[in-house]
Amino acid sequence: MFKRTLSSLSAALVAFGASSVYSAQLPEEVMEELIAKNPDSTYLVQSPQNLMMMPDNPAWDSVEAGEKLFRQPRGPKNASLEKCDFGKGPGVLEGAYVELPRYFADAGKVMDIQARLEYCMKTLQGFTDQDPAIKVKHGHTADTTVLQAYIASKSNGMPWNPPLNHPMEKLMRDTGEVMFYRRSGNMDFNCAACHSQTGQRIRASVLPGVSDPADWSKAISWPAYRFSHEATRSSSHRLYDCYWQMRYPNVTAGSDASIAVISFWTDAARGQPAILPDLKR
Amino acid sequence: MFKKNLVAASILAATSLLLTGGCAATNTGKVDYSKMTPEALAEYLTLESGSFDLDQPTQEGTTARSRVVQDDLQKACSLKKGQELDDQTRAKIMADAAASIKYPAGGFKLGDWKRGRELAWSGFGFRLGNNPDNHKTREVGANCYNCHQIATDRTGGTLGTVLTGYGKLRGNSEDMLKYTYEVIYNPHTYYACTIMPRSGTKNILSQKDILDIMAYLFDPNSPVNK
Repeated sequence: MFKRTLSSLSAALVAFGASSVYSAQLPEEVMEELIAKNPDSTYLVQSPQNLMMMPDNPAWDSVEAGEKLFRQPRGPKNASLEKCDFGKGPGVLEGAYVELPRYFADAGKVMDIQARLEYCMKTLQGFTDQDPAIKVKHGHTADTTVLQAYIASKSNGMPWNPPLNHPMEKLMRDTGEVMFYRRSGNMDFNCAACHSQTGQRIRASVLPGVSDPADWSKAISWPAYRFSHEATRSSSHRLYDCYWQMRYPNVTAGSDASIAVISFWTDAARGQPAILPDLKR
Repeated sequence: MFKKNLVAASILAATSLLLTGGCAATNTGKVDYSKMTPEALAEYLTLESGSFDLDQPTQEGTTARSRVVQDDLQKACSLKKGQELDDQTRAKIMADAAASIKYPAGGFKLGDWKRGRELAWSGFGFRLGNNPDNHKTREVGANCYNCHQIATDRTGGTLGTVLTGYGKLRGNSEDMLKYTYEVIYNPHTYYACTIMPRSGTKNILSQKDILDIMAYLFDPNSPVNK
């Protein structure tokens, strides 16, 4: 294990350049620590195969593609995203992801990573909603997915800490909580139907409970490579897929409904370490 | 609870009026969220903000909007952590559920346990989004194994009770058959605000489907009772 970790670390160093590796920890080391601190969790250890595969996580390819895209001058304005402010100042990525969603004064609203990326792609690069760069919300090579993988990797191991100082941040979080418990669809599901208890299973899959911050931290650690989809997926896609299973209408990534639920679910993992990028079934 | 919903509903009504008064619903902050309660904003985000694709056709012939407009039971059962049902609401939910049940004309005649087994296993049906379930190519399933361990030859979930040996343990008296039919048709008859779907009342399963699933649960030859 350690040998693999070491070799993957040096591979990472070669691939990204030593300066861009912020966290001294690798995602698998964050995961190992989380498991050690929560020895009773059945959710965290449900897939030994996934834990073994983490050093070779295909999501690292997305991180690499995302960094390239981030630095590349693109769009009608031929600008990179290096001046995009994710909440900690223009171009500051370290620790930005675990402090989203947050209120952005320039946009006058609470944004998650998807909405913020789209905002910067429009304002800095000149893209519109119709351009594939913004229109394609999901997919292994979707621009916003790989950009999220890169930006999120700069928060690996850091505690989730979405700000709740602005009244709109508090309102979106509280609204997300209402939506989490709001039952509808022809099968009467809400998010809580599956995620209000700890250690229960849907078929063979152990479910994370929203009231168990350690399990929940792993659960919301997106982007992650999903083996069952053979693709890197974002938080927005996790929500889309849950609503699909719940028999709800399609929710749009970066929409205010999506931001509200993600505000609530990020707050529920507060203080626990993010595993970024993660690897999931 | 009902009072809260009323307040939310009236705020929502006021918001809708505002919107129809010329201000288009967009995500760009044209609507002032700061004046809304979380309950009102949740309704707005679900039904008015454009966050969900509400125009998509559903398998039942409506549009997706009908999926997220709550009925009385869904409103009453949207309980946040720590919230509990009051006795009056509980009694009404159970009475309404019981009243919604339509019984098979020929009595509780157990159907085909082999078909019931497949229905109990299948989670197919009614999903929308980019990958909508096509009911013309595949039968709608009952989702039982998502939450219940039933026979031991397949892995079931643990959110529901263990049903292994169902008929063998309980017998097949008329009362037990009736109870089982009712729980599958509308479980709120006995368990107000359970997370189990109202498969009969919401037209997910037909009477024949339920009798086939009951055969899977009760038939001595079914793997459930082996």
